[in-house]
Amino acid sequence: MGRQVAVVSAGFSEHASKRTDVSMPELVSEAILDCLKNVPSVGIEDIDAFVNGNMPAFEGANVPELWMTDWMGARNKPLMRVTTGGTTGGSVAISGYYNVTAGIPGVDTVLAVAFEQQSVGTTSVGLASVAYGEISVLNSLGMPYEELTRLLSGGAAIGIASYQAANYMRRSSITEEDLARVVVQNRHNAAKTWWTHLKMPDLTIEQVLDTPYISYPLRYGMVCPASDGACAMLFTTEEKAKDMCDIPVYVNGVASVSHETAILGYNGSGAGQLDPSEQLGAMKSAELAFSQSGISFPRKEIDYAEVYAPFPNQELMWVERLGLFEENTASSMYESGVTALNGELPINCSGGVNSTNAIGASAMERPAEAALQIMGKASNQVPKTVHTSLGHGWGGIINLITMMVMSDEPARKFK
Amino acid sequence: MSENKVIVANKGMVRADFNFWVGRYMDKFYDNFEKKKLVGNKCQKCGNVFVPPRKVCGKCNVVIPLEENWVDLPDTGILKNYTITPYRVNDRTSRKTKPQVVGMVQIDGSNTAIIYRLINIKPEEVKTGMKVKIEWSEKPKGDPSDIKGFVKI
Repeated sequence: MGRQVAVVSAGFSEHASKRTDVSMPELVSEAILDCLKNVPSVGIEDIDAFVNGNMPAFEGANVPELWMTDWMGARNKPLMRVTTGGTTGGSVAISGYYNVTAGIPGVDTVLAVAFEQQSVGTTSVGLASVAYGEISVLNSLGMPYEELTRLLSGGAAIGIASYQAANYMRRSSITEEDLARVVVQNRHNAAKTWWTHLKMPDLTIEQVLDTPYISYPLRYGMVCPASDGACAMLFTTEEKAKDMCDIPVYVNGVASVSHETAILGYNGSGAGQLDPSEQLGAMKSAELAFSQSGISFPRKEIDYAEVYAPFPNQELMWVERLGLFEENTASSMYESGVTALNGELPINCSGGVNSTNAIGASAMERPAEAALQIMGKASNQVPKTVHTSLGHGWGGIINLITMMVMSDEPARKFK
Repeated sequence: MSENKVIVANKGMVRADFNFWVGRYMDKFYDNFEKKKLVGNKCQKCGNVFVPPRKVCGKCNVVIPLEENWVDLPDTGILKNYTITPYRVNDRTSRKTKPQVVGMVQIDGSNTAIIYRLINIKPEEVKTGMKVKIEWSEKPKGDPSDIKGFVKI
């Protein structure tokens, strides 16, 4: 029988394209110190277990959790590493939740930390090693590596996203201007959040559309940056949470679902999926997380959402697939200001992945910001009261979707 | 299958460049190499002195401030442990005629050990617990190669 879990704090390091002033363990300790700063009654000695994660091989270091144990304060304590590609942060957060809900004797408070220092390594090499799950299958179909990188237009995540974008645009009859509008909202929001990377308070739609294509229909101005940064979240039991902070954020639903591979969908995956913007995995993941939280009408019951969208078309796609808006209506919601800071359902007020992308940390920054919005401690705080929020994560290789639905009231599903 | 034959084989080469940032603490450590000086930093709680310096004391989990608690250290120390290898480091194909000694040295006044080569010494002369001294390179550049190795005193 699981226990009710609460988030009591979340912290970030500063994000930039090159954090040359810190080593990898120092970057991680920055996020942990910021996380603990918000809960003065909690010291590192009160933390019972640790979860750590980043993208495998991106920094060329494959057991960083052991290397940075001392910097995290995890000496002599249970520590495990979780890594699931783009959703690493989401999986690390879910793992923190599992550690607490499991009810292991002596493990009540768990610190989860996810990070990425992309300037250390070469992202393409990291991606190649991560994408190998897919590449190896194509290799076994007789396609050489060089040919594959051309197929995936450079081999990076944008190769996957451009197919999604083209399909989504056709499905919902939107223009590039609609994509640029999402980018502008995100970059303006990022300018008001202290830890973000691309702060552009004066960006306009014209400026975004003025940049060259990187892969049709996505332009340079629409694409996320590559950042260095870390994020930490503190999970604990319902009883302890009340002593640690004023407004504990209860984690009421988590899910992690994949339905189809990103490119193999065309090349012969078992799912036989032909429309990359359909995202059945996202729908299933949302359904699971909402049913655990007792949410039947997400559009009405969710007050705030952080979705994982490195590319603007994905933000429109996710908010529809996760059930926040009706199909093909998302871009009009952005146009009418429903998703703005003072709107009815604010989305990505931290600027989202579109403005800051330290890959391993990105999927944790979503639930972390969503939790801070409920606590009222986010740096770009929405004016309305947030009761229920969600943090979503996406990983490109097999379209893995992580979900964490949080609320200021426990769901009581375990009683 | 009657025949064990490879139909198509894919080969590819991926080039990887990595830059590891050392951070401000190590930066200060290497800056002092240029002056042929060795520095460490001290945990304000347990008093352990770290060479190389670090931001967080692993034992106490306290952050050692960047501006404070620096300790000037001598260039002498004690050999705590060593190994002798007939091979060149990073090149096991070539057996050297002259074996080299690599050892862990605890710098006097510190609580950690650093690993460097021991130079100008015959393998049979090496003893755990002997006093050693840093041999600096003639023109220090501010990187790890400024310490050529340790010599017996």
